[in-house]
Amino acid sequence: MSAIAMETRAAPRASLLRRLSSQEVLLAIAIVVLALVVGAINPRFLATRNLSDILLGNAYVAVAAIGMSMVIISGNIDISVGALIGVLATISGSMAVAGYSIALAWLVPVLVGIAVMALQGAVIAYLRIPAIVVTLGMLSILKGGLISVTGGKWITDLPDSFHLADIELFDILPMPVLIMVGATILAALWMRYTAQGRAIYATGGNPEAARLCGISPQVTVVMVFALHGLFAGIAALLFATQLKVIQSTVPPNLELTIITAAVVGGVSILGGVGTVIGSTLAAILIAEIASALVFVSISPYWIRAVQGGLILLTVVADIVRRQRRVAGDSR
Amino acid sequence: MTSLAAAPPERRVPRWLARHETLLAAVLIVALAILGALNNRFLTLDNLLNQGRLMTEVGLIALPMTFVIITGGIDLSVGSVVGLCAIALGYSWKNLGFPLPAAIAFAIALGAICGFINGFFITRVKVPPLIMTIATLALYRGFAEGISQAHSVRGYPEWFYFMGQGELFGVPTQLWLLVAAIVIAGVALDRTTFGRSLYAIGANETAARFSGLPVDRIKLVVYTLSGLMAGVSAYVLVSRVTTTRSDMGIGYELDVIAAVVLGGTSIFGGSGTIWGTVVGLVMIQLLKDGLALTGVKGDATIVVIGTVLIASTLLASSLQKRRDVGG
Amino acid sequence: MNVSAISAPPPLLEVRGLEKSFPGVRALSGVSFSVAAGEIHALLGENGAGKSTLIKIVSGVFSQNAGEILIDGVEQNFHSPEDARRAGVATIYQELLLFPELTVAENIFMGHAPRRLAGRLDWREMRERAERLLESLEIHDLAADRVVGALSVGNRQRVEILRALSYDARLLIMDEPTAALTEPDVVRLFKIVRLLKARGVGIIYISHRLDEIFTLADRVTVLRDGAYVGTRDVARTDPGELVQMMVGRTIENLFPKVEAPIGAPVLEVADLVRRPTTRGVSLSVRSGEIVGLAGLVGSGRSELAQAIFGVTPAESGAIRIAGEPVVIRSPGQARDLGIAYVPEDRGTQGLVRPMSVLQNFSLAALGSLSRFGFIDRAAERRLAETGVAQLSVKTSSLEQVAGRLSGGNQQKIVLGKWLANNPRLLILDEPTRGIDVGAKAEIHRIMGDLARQGVAILLISSELPEVLGMSDRVLVMREGRFVAEFARAEATPEAVGAAMMGGSGTLRGAAA
Repeated sequence: MSAIAMETRAAPRASLLRRLSSQEVLLAIAIVVLALVVGAINPRFLATRNLSDILLGNAYVAVAAIGMSMVIISGNIDISVGALIGVLATISGSMAVAGYSIALAWLVPVLVGIAVMALQGAVIAYLRIPAIVVTLGMLSILKGGLISVTGGKWITDLPDSFHLADIELFDILPMPVLIMVGATILAALWMRYTAQGRAIYATGGNPEAARLCGISPQVTVVMVFALHGLFAGIAALLFATQLKVIQSTVPPNLELTIITAAVVGGVSILGGVGTVIGSTLAAILIAEIASALVFVSISPYWIRAVQGGLILLTVVADIVRRQRRVAGDSR
Repeated sequence: MTSLAAAPPERRVPRWLARHETLLAAVLIVALAILGALNNRFLTLDNLLNQGRLMTEVGLIALPMTFVIITGGIDLSVGSVVGLCAIALGYSWKNLGFPLPAAIAFAIALGAICGFINGFFITRVKVPPLIMTIATLALYRGFAEGISQAHSVRGYPEWFYFMGQGELFGVPTQLWLLVAAIVIAGVALDRTTFGRSLYAIGANETAARFSGLPVDRIKLVVYTLSGLMAGVSAYVLVSRVTTTRSDMGIGYELDVIAAVVLGGTSIFGGSGTIWGTVVGLVMIQLLKDGLALTGVKGDATIVVIGTVLIASTLLASSLQKRRDVGG
Repeated sequence: MNVSAISAPPPLLEVRGLEKSFPGVRALSGVSFSVAAGEIHALLGENGAGKSTLIKIVSGVFSQNAGEILIDGVEQNFHSPEDARRAGVATIYQELLLFPELTVAENIFMGHAPRRLAGRLDWREMRERAERLLESLEIHDLAADRVVGALSVGNRQRVEILRALSYDARLLIMDEPTAALTEPDVVRLFKIVRLLKARGVGIIYISHRLDEIFTLADRVTVLRDGAYVGTRDVARTDPGELVQMMVGRTIENLFPKVEAPIGAPVLEVADLVRRPTTRGVSLSVRSGEIVGLAGLVGSGRSELAQAIFGVTPAESGAIRIAGEPVVIRSPGQARDLGIAYVPEDRGTQGLVRPMSVLQNFSLAALGSLSRFGFIDRAAERRLAETGVAQLSVKTSSLEQVAGRLSGGNQQKIVLGKWLANNPRLLILDEPTRGIDVGAKAEIHRIMGDLARQGVAILLISSELPEVLGMSDRVLVMREGRFVAEFARAEATPEAVGAAMMGGSGTLRGAAA
């Protein structure tokens, strides 16, 4: 091996840390700075109870954002995930109340989530219908279906053992945080270091080249949507099992929050770039902002405007950065 | 390279007969007949006119949406613009003291501005229309919710309800507006340079640019129109339901896009007609009405609309493939 | 009677009688040639001669309509690029197919990376193999873990070559590899190519640059209009013979030049700059004059035209039309000033393929065909009918979808679209690329007619014979600058070619 050739490389995990782009660092800084600023205005914001509420209560968004990031990296989009989570949460709660074993009440929604999303992925990949059309249609089907089947009925009397989200491993690690962090790390490693994970970046970045390398864009897209369904299912569980009552409705604004987390997390809407670590950090940041609004006495009704503004800002910055890079490349 | 002579085989079926719009109109007539047979209240003039009244809000927006989709773009923010303009109408009148006519004009102008912002970022900053209008879907709805704090506005004067609930020569007022808009949009699309440019941009934007067409300016116009009509639609809506609420217009984008796609406009751009959109619009309204009359509740109808959206895109896509391959 | 007692080993690659047609176009009609192991075999031909179709067939992207491909004497049946790769064929296209966000090693092994259990990539193995490949080509200044997006074009190309080698390629096809390279990179590329040759790899080298062919190649095959013209040993031929084989006739017969009265300048450009491709160009074109703009691929001619036409407006410099200073910021403005531009790529830039012949004809003249925004359909139809007749466009009807017509007829429509405006300056960018000889001649005839009517014509073309035959003056561009001007009498292939390639440009070089 030539001595000049390259620096010796550390183990893969270290290189992952080294490769973290500025977006993730920016987000981490923003989280801390925001906490300090809001805490200065209203110290109760920094109470442990509040901070843990923010984290525990919104971990499910981060988990769902992992799947959404993958979808966007592959060059697609999905706006049906909010409705799907509502449906899956209802299924889970209904099964628990109807007497099925808790294990089934947790497992079945995940499987249904995978199936529904994989179906959408197949329609997108093989029938060449644009993702926006398929997922817009599916959103309506799920949303309308949920209301007409359940009538919006509230599910009460959930058995105690149902509440996965309340479990604390070894009495200190809360399930939601454990799952969020674990899923993020596993997904990040998988995307970075396995061939199938790389295929997602390749398909999103340059589908023609990917095909010429022997990667099938269609198979990749179906796989991505199936994974998206898996994460949506887990997110639905975390969401449902922290509630005393499940409302059998689609949580309002959920898909938007998830998309915002993915986009702000650094996943470029033009495909091929981004990491799931960014989307998890962004999800935490968004939850933090929502809580912050309350503590600085700004009406929480402004949260959607904030999300829309964040998406716009991130996307514009991304596009401008790309344009500048192209111009700078020129000899 | 030697070239082969390009002579297509003679068509056995006249082209107009095989067009998407004609097929759809035929399906429409059949659907009308079936629904009429199932329910004797359906085919009454009263009911049909009422349906016309109800479909105006979506219909007004579907017209510029047709333009937008023909150019190969999309606008998902229309529902949120409706909500924001409705709020603007109510709040500028009630809280800011605008005279009501000025409030109406303000709301409509605001719609145009919202559309203009979309168009600006799409053409100057080159943000893809999909993500741009997802962002503004959130942003505009957010402003609506933030400004109104979920309070509604009521108590408009009598004359205000004329647009939404009144009649002119026996026909609902807003229906006249819709028909006029349809005629203008249809003529513009079919017979003007503006309309021709839309098709060119959707079919091959680069070639359109190279041919001297003012592509950016035209796109800016269509997105502004989309916002403008959403503003008008907000006025019609508020006038019909007598209140202003921040959750108005939620889900409109589904109905509008479904109507446009059902009517034969390709989601990929380059083709489509106003006539087709009208037929699509009528079909969806009738579908909803028919479902309602057979007892299906409002929320469940979106299941059907969603299915219709996917199915009609599928159909259009496979028809297009056959058209490309065959004669 | 059996002639040879000892038979020579079969060539590495042999193609026999390859034919390929697309709708409306016959791309290859019976091409045969062979490449031996360790041979550098150049493939030469004008644009549209069929070179790219040929290599796409050999690399498994297309399948041929007729003919055989043999590797080591064994007939092959490629159904996909994978098949060709497995047989040892690797191709490096002009548009590099890399993933800018990934590292060198990842790009090299994309699709066939070494793996461990459960699909996990074997990182270390991949890096080591990448380093070994780099070493084998004596590349010491490129690290396997650098992100490709940050590399120069020269280095990216080397990554592509390494990728080809990672598949143990025995036949390497390179399509215009030096088109985008700087001088030092070209030298390094040649070194690598010679290394590969020494190792027994067969190389098909496609290039327009005759000097490279004479420096590097062992044999050269010439294609013309999809047909095989001949193969020569590089040491036993010269540029003149090759040009003749490419063109097919002597220059005089092909392009009858008709005299036209030359008037006042219509276009004057001074120090036009648009980075990075146009670096201070000045030229002028007079009424009735045909000015040819010659240069290699990538010399910036189309970009210059597009700057003048307002597609990518100039950053600085002056433009005068008929003596009046103008600032052109959009094609619409250019059109209103009487400028017309027939673009290089008629499929994506010139024609709206799904629209009808009628609608394409009127696309640039909609303003003048309409009143208060309403299109005068009768006038539109008259315009199209006149255009079709004058340009002899072969179409079954005006409603025919434009994309279904042959290349030559499509080009005529694009030209006709612009002639409808009665332009005073016509910029033609590769107007006869990829069309049959008959249509070519017709377009040249039309050019002559227009010149006689006083239109100023700027002709951009990569076909030297066309440029030399049609032009009153020949300008040469290289790397974004205007480097030479020749009056018709002085413009010989050698002189112009030398200016295009730069340096002393000896076209006769000893084969390496």
